[in-house]
Amino acid sequence: MKHTKILFLIILILLSLGIASCIPGGGQPAQGWAGTVFYDGKLYAGTMDGSVVAVNPETRSIEWSYAISTPSKGMSCGGGGSSPTAIYGTPIASDELVYVAAYSGKAYGLNGATGRDRWIYPKEGYIGPIVANLVAKGDTIFLSSSDGKVYALDTTYGEEKWETEQPLNEKLWTTPAIEGDTIYLSTFDGFIYALSVEDGSLLRWSFKADAGFVSSPAVHQNTIFVGAFDNNLYAIEIGGSEPVWKFSGDSWFWATPVVKDGIVYAGCLDGKIYAINTETGDLEWDFDTASSIVSSPVWDGDLLIVASETGDLYVFNTKSKPENKAMTPVKTISINAVIKASLCVQDSIVYVRAQNNYLYAVDIDAGWVSWELSLSIKEES
Amino acid sequence: MAELWYLIIADPMLNILIAMSDVLFHSFGLAIIGLTIVVRLILLPLTLRQTRSTKAMQEMQPKLQELQKKHAKNKEKLQQEMTTLYKEAGINPLGCIWPLLVQFPIWIALYQSIMKALATTPENLLDLARHLYFWEIISRAMPLSSHFLWLNLGNPDSTLLMAIIVGGTMWVQQKMTTAPTLDPRQQSTNSMMLLMMPLMFGLFTLMFPSGLALFWAISNLIGIAIQYKTMGWGYLKFRLPGQPAKQ
Repeated sequence: MKHTKILFLIILILLSLGIASCIPGGGQPAQGWAGTVFYDGKLYAGTMDGSVVAVNPETRSIEWSYAISTPSKGMSCGGGGSSPTAIYGTPIASDELVYVAAYSGKAYGLNGATGRDRWIYPKEGYIGPIVANLVAKGDTIFLSSSDGKVYALDTTYGEEKWETEQPLNEKLWTTPAIEGDTIYLSTFDGFIYALSVEDGSLLRWSFKADAGFVSSPAVHQNTIFVGAFDNNLYAIEIGGSEPVWKFSGDSWFWATPVVKDGIVYAGCLDGKIYAINTETGDLEWDFDTASSIVSSPVWDGDLLIVASETGDLYVFNTKSKPENKAMTPVKTISINAVIKASLCVQDSIVYVRAQNNYLYAVDIDAGWVSWELSLSIKEES
Repeated sequence: MAELWYLIIADPMLNILIAMSDVLFHSFGLAIIGLTIVVRLILLPLTLRQTRSTKAMQEMQPKLQELQKKHAKNKEKLQQEMTTLYKEAGINPLGCIWPLLVQFPIWIALYQSIMKALATTPENLLDLARHLYFWEIISRAMPLSSHFLWLNLGNPDSTLLMAIIVGGTMWVQQKMTTAPTLDPRQQSTNSMMLLMMPLMFGLFTLMFPSGLALFWAISNLIGIAIQYKTMGWGYLKFRLPGQPAKQ
């Protein structure tokens, strides 16, 4: 009797731990949501299995792939050992190299033609996991890391130009914005920092909000637009100490907002895309997609393209007048897959790397999915 | 079903945990300790029932062993006699299991709340937004700091200290309720279990985020306190070197 009870107890505990750690309510492993970039006739994307791929949109095939792995830490449902890393940041492409940063805590400069690594930073070991997008300016790449620091790397050799002296926060998951010679960075503890592009030193001005910032900042005409954990979108004048205005949503403004013609367009996790007057903070129009908006809106001329997490792309003509502040999309195209990654627009084709590890080419003019390609390397081989 | 789970149990617990971290000096570690104490207090009647049931079962062991010897060859008769004995003593042999079963959903919800609130991955942080209440105290508390004492609550403890604390407290808690027996086979099983569970949880501590290990450690300490209140030190006998074992 006692044997059975003890055995029962052990099985129960093991089952509970197993269930609790593997069901969605427990901890979700890092999977990544790297977007796609188009450069010189090729698409570069991070995949769900930790690879960077170059895709030829003409032949709709993968030209090369570069796998990034990381040593596993702790218990995960996927098992132990070395595992593919997650990639969150959208690659950056230049004439020669493709740059990408991984959650494992390394950044890579890959040969755009062959996919071989030209450089890896750091050469030994890892910095903190990298969630933010890389940002390039001139011959420098800037990255923020979960170790709370910002790094500047040389684009050609991947050598470190500078790193911030102190961690700016417990972790940095937001992408820096560069305006002129200044880097603007939003942090989870509610600071906006201004750093020198030259040496990473903190400039005199900083801003502290009551709530932490969840989104990356968008800078437009001396004003920073950024979403916070208090469900507000903040407009902050550079140099100011109080927000110019705050606009309240029903959840976090997770996606980086975009600004055009005096309107800031901000996707919210409450499912709505809000068009807000940059000067007054008044709502111009909104539209409810009925699903969270995780990725930032993109432009195709005057058309604003917004992706909902459940896989619908909404196309808005921003020149048209909304009725009673309620805008209607001119087109809605579904890819039937979860979208979290940044969108990429080229010649009226929106490229979407969905969470099912497929790359979708959505023809905006035609209003349908033109083609799709599995990015799973195993399937390809 | 999953929606109901979140609506009734998991989400309220998650939001209380986050709100508590704002009240408790913006310390998520203190919030975990606080919520563990609150949950254990709420479950106290069930825990007491379980402890008393375990104690009663242990007290019956000599009589049960006697019956087992007497009716070793007649299983049916043994079952009948055992049932009669339980009835006479007013004990349900599964009495110490059911309170445990009832507690499990609460433990799972607490586990999920800790994991979710820590938001160790971007996916977790994104998912967290869907489970938060629109309370000012919640937005003020976000995001949570994962540093507490020497621990990064979102990562496994890199030192062995937490594993020793979790394993040690679990061993003490079990030792207090594990009755010695004359049956050598039973004794060997008991000894094995007494070591196995603390070792298992010690191992989990090295693999799971230390926020969870903190919850286990505090939960064990409270368990020890409750057992001490109801049964004293029980079967946890400290013997000084050179002191003869009591007969």
